[in-house]
Amino acid sequence: MTNQPTKSGIIAPWTAYLIVAAGMFIMLAPFYFMFVFATHSRTEIFSLPPPLFFGNDFINNLKILTERVPFWRNLGWSVYVALASTVLTLLFCSMGGYAFALFDFRGKNLLFALVMGTMLLPSFMNIIPTFMIMDALGWIDQPKALYIPGAASAFGIFLMRQFVTTSIPKELIEAARMDGCSELGIYGRIVLPLLKPALGTLALITFISSWNNFIGPLIVMRSPEMYTLPLALRSLQSPVDTEWGALMAGAAIATLPLVLLFVMTSRQLISGLTTGAVK
Amino acid sequence: MKLPAILRLSPKAVPYVLLSPFVFLFLVFGLFPLLFSLYLAFQSWEPTSGLNSMSFVGFDNFVFALKDEWFWKSLKNTGWLALAAGVPQHLIAIPLAYFIHTSFRRLRNTVVGVYFMPYITSSVAIAILFSSLFSTDFGLINIGIKTLSAIPGMASLMPASPIDWMNDADNIKPAIAVLVFWRYVGFNVVLYLAALQTIPDDIYEAATMDGASRVQKFLYITLPSLKPMIFFAVTLSVIGGLQLFEEPFILTGGRGGSDQAGMTTAIYLYRMAFDFNDFGAASAMSWLLFIVIAALTLITNRAFRPRSSAST
Amino acid sequence: MLLEPTTTTKTKTIKTEAKRVIYGLLLWGVAQGALAQHTLTVAAYPAVDEIVKSAIPAWKKLHPTVDIKVVSRQFVDHHTAMTTALSTSAYLPDVMVLEVGYLGRFAQGGGLEDLSRPPYDIKRFQTRFVPYAYQQATNRRGAVVAAPADIGPGTLLYRADILAKAGVSEAELTQSWDGYVAAGAKIKLATGANLLSHARDMKDIVIRSGILPGEGLYFDNQSNVLVTSPRFVRAFELARRVRQQKLDARVGTWTADWNEGFKRGTIATQMTGAWLAGHLNTWLAPNTKGSWRAAQLPEGAFAAYGGTFYSIPRGAAPERKQLAWEFIQLMTMNREIQVSAFKAQDAFPALLEIYDDSFFEQPIAFLGGQTARLGWRTAAKRITAVDVHKQDAFAEEVINTELDKVLDRGKDITIALADAQRLLQQRANR
Repeated sequence: MTNQPTKSGIIAPWTAYLIVAAGMFIMLAPFYFMFVFATHSRTEIFSLPPPLFFGNDFINNLKILTERVPFWRNLGWSVYVALASTVLTLLFCSMGGYAFALFDFRGKNLLFALVMGTMLLPSFMNIIPTFMIMDALGWIDQPKALYIPGAASAFGIFLMRQFVTTSIPKELIEAARMDGCSELGIYGRIVLPLLKPALGTLALITFISSWNNFIGPLIVMRSPEMYTLPLALRSLQSPVDTEWGALMAGAAIATLPLVLLFVMTSRQLISGLTTGAVK
Repeated sequence: MKLPAILRLSPKAVPYVLLSPFVFLFLVFGLFPLLFSLYLAFQSWEPTSGLNSMSFVGFDNFVFALKDEWFWKSLKNTGWLALAAGVPQHLIAIPLAYFIHTSFRRLRNTVVGVYFMPYITSSVAIAILFSSLFSTDFGLINIGIKTLSAIPGMASLMPASPIDWMNDADNIKPAIAVLVFWRYVGFNVVLYLAALQTIPDDIYEAATMDGASRVQKFLYITLPSLKPMIFFAVTLSVIGGLQLFEEPFILTGGRGGSDQAGMTTAIYLYRMAFDFNDFGAASAMSWLLFIVIAALTLITNRAFRPRSSAST
Repeated sequence: MLLEPTTTTKTKTIKTEAKRVIYGLLLWGVAQGALAQHTLTVAAYPAVDEIVKSAIPAWKKLHPTVDIKVVSRQFVDHHTAMTTALSTSAYLPDVMVLEVGYLGRFAQGGGLEDLSRPPYDIKRFQTRFVPYAYQQATNRRGAVVAAPADIGPGTLLYRADILAKAGVSEAELTQSWDGYVAAGAKIKLATGANLLSHARDMKDIVIRSGILPGEGLYFDNQSNVLVTSPRFVRAFELARRVRQQKLDARVGTWTADWNEGFKRGTIATQMTGAWLAGHLNTWLAPNTKGSWRAAQLPEGAFAAYGGTFYSIPRGAAPERKQLAWEFIQLMTMNREIQVSAFKAQDAFPALLEIYDDSFFEQPIAFLGGQTARLGWRTAAKRITAVDVHKQDAFAEEVINTELDKVLDRGKDITIALADAQRLLQQRANR
């Protein structure tokens, strides 16, 4: 390893690695325990000190889990809703972000302020009005009630606008126009490829947020077969009788697709994409 | 290949076309709840009696909120937590992202992945895990502290008896701050790392040839280039911090903790609406919070004032 | 153009045939209606959902064509969903299960059917229910908004072995609150075990004793604040004494520390609902089987911990309300259902007439063979209901906060209660 001092230049190189490694340990520890707890019965989990190594109750926990909730079906719904949500959000927010960033039109600032405004209100305050809308539309108990509204994500459009503003110069667009490229062509062939890191980030975050969202399904879903995972796992909780082992097993399994997704998209995000196009 | 005439839009029409799906969804699903909430702020409403039981009370809810001890307490808690959890996140995430960007090649994905794990973990799991970790007599955090005080020289820095994290009003706030930090530092690392990718290597090469040191490169190339992303990430932290709900909810069982030390404004709102069944006051408070967040977001905006051109 | 038959015979035949067809269709339609499948939606939460599901076979015997659909959500989520449904009168279940903690708020609202009116007329069944449970379902305007299914009679569970070691008898423990605390000191000295898990538990019971008619727990019928009355002062003083003598373990209920306290025997007593014995046995502290006993709460206090109620939302489909009421009667007044829920889920029945069942006399192994259900049965009949006020949830929070300040920070009791009074006065009339 070459000599690589950190920003301050004071700390010796190996200390920096040590700190990063210690950080990794801290980040992972609770995660590790989640998997450990998934393999123990609830009596063992609730004891102190908690179990440190894997036990042998995993199959039993799975059994309890699948008996109490239609787990695999809920997992399927979670996947479906999250995928649909991600695709729609990427599409709508990239188009919208591009529009906000590089064009001027009437009402632009007001609209953006309104959109950002929705980010400033806590989501649980929307439970009742959202319920009213879904009822009026007849979307209760249907997955589309979960992924369609979310596509108008204030976060998504904010992120996209930021990225477009900083990574795509106006001159590039002008040049493409002069070359005779159609507007939609510019969007599809020039802007989108340049937005890849942002798209990857937004995809990841949207998927995760849809995956872990429980307020939306709580409002909209009425049948246990239609629940997504967070709601299904919550229904394992009882005021006095929670099956902690099964719950942890479910939570652990629920995390795996996200890990997989991260591994897949991290190449987009992190393996670097140069902005050669700028030249 | 030329697109059919109908799809060839003029530059003037493009923004409208591109934005229309988003705006349409927004008007239906975003605007209505917003307006409903605004309307509700001026009503007195106990929800289980049905929509017809709303009665107009003018500014009564706002006056009540502004006079309410607990509302101000919650704002103070929120401010403290937003700062205590938010500031370290960025102070650590930026150098960390830079370090990972420059020092890890093959292990890069793994390292970032590990830091990102907490963000993925669901609240249900975190609730159980952290109440176990923060337990007074047997929680691993206190055990860790005890072990650290066994190291000679560290004993004076460590507290003498096990810290009661969950029940003591003074300790619940740091516990929440730790949880929030743990959960989001990786998220910010990912954001900054994505931004670091967009800085072309040749600028660094040119600087190296000019004899710039690593620190100088960081301070004069990296940081300024990261400014837009810092603005973005900090804005998110401001908004997220002021709306802090999940983490205090998890650690205090939805109540806000002893002496409401862990009660952020969002939690108080939630309790007003769903525990104390006073939806009107809850809406009024959410709008007061909105004003606070909007003000602070504007200030952040002014402070950073992102560059309009994209040249790095 | 067809030539129409002109003979009268043919027309007559057509008319008769037509009539036959029409009558046939009508009959078919009526038969369909009679055999029509209704579905009753019952909204509940764990573990009540199990109780409801296990009652379905019995229901089917009564109404073979009516299905029961159980929609079960996590406890808090369920009540949030019910609040939402009531607020918009949309997607209301036919039968709504409510826990006593939430019943108060829902009862004041007017969103639930008044079962004392025709065609339900629950008043004729009033004497069949445990009195206080029936009272809890009655709101201020006299409407009975729900029917009680199960209750949680309060009891004092204690470690007989720890008490024996300290030379404390059950009578000493339960004679009076002062005696309880004194016994606690003896226990601490002799065994090092804590008397109770948190001083707050004691405060909770003591403030419930000595409530005068016309008074709720924190407010009276005119929304005057009652927190400076003697029962609060006494409760705070006792709690402070417990803390000063280090007799409580300072752990919250349902935390890992609390659980561990039972496993390791560092908590000697717990004031709780009778159902906790079942949980201790099953998963909380099965290793302590046989060492626990149940007694009545000290100083003749009787309190309730939990309780399940069945109600009919006013906005539910009118054509199914009669069926919903029959289902509720099945769940709350049918002997077999109540007994089986008791045996399977530890759901202490609210139906008085089954209190002679032999199940009550069965010894409970976890409690060392004690026939504790007899004691709980007595307690159930002696609990008095407390009037509910809209701001009770907030008041509870305020009082707990002030208590914490008294216990942890040494705040003066009079000042603490005065502060609470002030805070509550601001909201008493909202």
